[in-house]
Amino acid sequence: MSKEESLQVTKRATRSSTSTPVKTASRTQKTIKPHASLLRNDLVFEGEPLSLDALISNFHGRRLQILKLLNFIGPLNTSMLPLFLYGGPAAGKTSVLLQSFRHLQRPFVYASCRTCYNPKILFESVLNQLSSHRQQASNGYSCAKKCDKPSDFVHLLQEAFKEVINTLKGNSKEKKGSKESEGKDCGSMVYLIFDNLELVRDWEKESVIIPMLFKLYDILKLPEVGLIFISNASPDTYYSNTGSLEPLPIYFPDYTEDELYQIFSRNQRNPKFYSSFLDITLKPFCRITRRVDELSIALQSLFQKCCEPLSDSGIPSPGDMKTTLYNRLKLHLAPSLNETFSIPAHLSSEDEAKKDKVRRKANMKNLGHGEALDDIDFHMSVSTKYLLISAFLASRNRATLDAALFDSTGGGDNRKRKRKISEASKEQKETAEEELRMKGPGTFPLERLLAIFQCITSVMEDSLDEGVQESNSDSGAEGGNTQLMSDVLLQLSTLCNANLISKGGTCPLEASTRYRSTVSEELAMKVARSVKFHLKQYLYQK
Amino acid sequence: MEERQTLAVKAQIEFRRRICDRKSIFSIFSESPNSNYSKLKFIVSNSVTEGCNNSVLLLGPRGCGQKEVLDLVIEDLKAEYHDMISVVKLDGILHSDDNCALKEIAKQLCLENQLLFSKMASSDDNSQFMIAVLREYGLAHKTVIFVLDEFDLFAQGKQRLLYSLLDAMQSVASQAVVVGVSCRLDADQLLEKRVRSRFSHRKLLFLPPNKEDRKRQVFCIIMIPFISLFDWRKWYCQFCFEVKSVFSCKGIFILNFFLLVQKSTHSELQYLVTSGLMRGISIFRFQHAYLILFTWKQAFSFFYAYPKSEKLGVLLSTLTLSICPAMRSLHCKSQRSCHYNAVFKDPLSIHKQGPYLSSNCSQKLSLKAWKSVLECSAIFLMLWQILGVKYREKKLIIQPDYLRIIIHSTRSCGSLLVLLDGREQF
Repeated sequence: MSKEESLQVTKRATRSSTSTPVKTASRTQKTIKPHASLLRNDLVFEGEPLSLDALISNFHGRRLQILKLLNFIGPLNTSMLPLFLYGGPAAGKTSVLLQSFRHLQRPFVYASCRTCYNPKILFESVLNQLSSHRQQASNGYSCAKKCDKPSDFVHLLQEAFKEVINTLKGNSKEKKGSKESEGKDCGSMVYLIFDNLELVRDWEKESVIIPMLFKLYDILKLPEVGLIFISNASPDTYYSNTGSLEPLPIYFPDYTEDELYQIFSRNQRNPKFYSSFLDITLKPFCRITRRVDELSIALQSLFQKCCEPLSDSGIPSPGDMKTTLYNRLKLHLAPSLNETFSIPAHLSSEDEAKKDKVRRKANMKNLGHGEALDDIDFHMSVSTKYLLISAFLASRNRATLDAALFDSTGGGDNRKRKRKISEASKEQKETAEEELRMKGPGTFPLERLLAIFQCITSVMEDSLDEGVQESNSDSGAEGGNTQLMSDVLLQLSTLCNANLISKGGTCPLEASTRYRSTVSEELAMKVARSVKFHLKQYLYQK
Repeated sequence: MEERQTLAVKAQIEFRRRICDRKSIFSIFSESPNSNYSKLKFIVSNSVTEGCNNSVLLLGPRGCGQKEVLDLVIEDLKAEYHDMISVVKLDGILHSDDNCALKEIAKQLCLENQLLFSKMASSDDNSQFMIAVLREYGLAHKTVIFVLDEFDLFAQGKQRLLYSLLDAMQSVASQAVVVGVSCRLDADQLLEKRVRSRFSHRKLLFLPPNKEDRKRQVFCIIMIPFISLFDWRKWYCQFCFEVKSVFSCKGIFILNFFLLVQKSTHSELQYLVTSGLMRGISIFRFQHAYLILFTWKQAFSFFYAYPKSEKLGVLLSTLTLSICPAMRSLHCKSQRSCHYNAVFKDPLSIHKQGPYLSSNCSQKLSLKAWKSVLECSAIFLMLWQILGVKYREKKLIIQPDYLRIIIHSTRSCGSLLVLLDGREQF
């Protein structure tokens, strides 16, 4: 069991345990008003408190950041200015922050904008956690409060915070009075953490939500509330022209090579052997990525490979270990460098995968775009496939060639005639073609798409009908045609929503919407193959 | 020693409280007759005493204390004219929708007068209610102050709210003040004609405080005597002495330099104070003033770190960094933005980038590098948001000199530098 894996596991575990806090405390009925101590249990990190030394030693190379963070959060019962944690993925932002709260033992509310994928869910999840309300079967998975608009959210949030802070204050007073030492006093501050803030930029109401979140400190006007944002992107990408206070940034840099070395060589069964393994492999991998999650996946498979022959022959003496190792790994190194990161990290853990169902669907579509999978892994109706093909053709071919390609006779012969041209013009054409390729797919108006669609569907029907009977062809073609054409516009909008075709870029002269196919050639070929359409025939190539 | 430590903690808590309480930072300017505080107070109190309508815009870049000064004024006036003033606060971010804003006004007016607010009321009802309340207030010689934060957001679209508010004020013998707060200096230009004619053109400009004022602000945070809080007088005296000595010698130089660089907001100031002073205080219990000076210096250098450089130099892997020269050269060639195909499939770039871009990195890997380029929006300008990953067009928005420095600073990128220089000669 390698260290990096266990590190991964703890990380994921902390994340999931905070986003669905304390299943055991679900004994609290909705009707009973949450008692102060229960409330405290809900919002404070579960598990043993962590000492500062343990915290720092758990996160190698994050000492400065942890100290800075604790310094900004400050001692018990002191108000703080909003914080902004940023840095590349897998730099330990979320886990450092959450573990720091475990160390501090103070109440906090954690909402990730990845799992709460729209404003409504984000608002409701925050309010649910504050009122320690749990969505479960007994209450029909309803929310504590329904909340849609930012203005309602602010009102409800204010009320909820006031209530929580009052109970907390009463709680700490009680403790002071009775001198009961059933745990550390958690103070009267409540911290609100928003994770993955960069995703909000892609939401629909982005222009409202982001300024609202940043301004929350001013709007709430509660000194007992601390706001902390976590983001991949740096603060200057969130520029907005509102009068909100700029949060204090804390930057989490990527791990350096030495730090990575230290991280990976912790908790290894055979430290000497593993360190010489790292000596060889870490450097080339670091050139490509310095993310711990990606590296751990890549290194682990590589390590297994180099362990295989060793297991029977025993470990060689340390003197020539490096050279033998190097010889062994030489073959595997280059291909695995290229193959690394095919598995996105957040798919590896099941927990996360469940939550990210929606995201994953989007991911799958992306995979469909870029990688050469054997078949299309999503369902499309036949006419949609044709529509996709025609969009692809419209994007790749020049509009002037349409007439030549889609002649009534069916294309093939015409193309050959077209290509008899002199050498000079051929060269010219090639450079133009090169340029076209560089520019990416072209745009096209709706009319052209429909025309091409009609052409290719009629061609296909002709070829089908030839096989069948001639007498039937009239009515059959008629029927098929109407069937195919019936909801083309609907299908087009579906394709647009699936990001297979992108809409936009209205032409300034014509004022009509232009489309652009964003499908790669491989995918288009696959789709064409599935409906037995000879795409190559219609694709203008050098 | 332990006693000292608890005192240091106490002092730290007190400083934090002060920094977080932004009103007090701006309250020091309230005495001078020329300050915005005095002007605003004059305008509002005029309306309270004379019984007339008024409207004013508070403009200025963020962090210059528009809202803090307004809050101070309202607080003072409320104390001065007891029970004569009601305040309705709206925020452009939350209430830019007209119906929503009217509802909010009605709600706050109800709350103010201990009336029951009905959620079901239509926006017509709400606006009629508002007019009725305005009339009542006019008869009772009470004043309503409407505070419209993020005023520019109310000035979008048809501006129905602004119109109905200002129109109601004119048609009824009311006694109301509309105060708009905005970071856009041209906020009054956004108003429609019919709204503009009803709006008084009073504007108060809030500028970043000058050097002297800032120094006073910092002093005000640090130096208010808090003997009442701490009874250990000796410690406090020593502290004051040392702070003064820091400010009188080298510290002043640093502070001045800092103020030169950071001209706009006071949040940086707060930042400096939180990070520098907090640590200064905690170290203070050990010894000398130069420790404080040291922490100030540290805070300054920490803040001054250029965000783009840390992003490029530290975050990007070598592979991603190697895209930069390619993009730079494409930019030199065609003055256009470029996308994935152009960078990775351009035969020229493949040929010249050699080991970096083409031969030993697969399609997947190059796509990944490109994706990480997409993430660094500080360095690259995105032109086509909607398209797929491959076809998003990018522009390098970073100075070539700067790029060179960064590449130079990262290890194992020597050949890239050569490449970049070669490209410049295009």
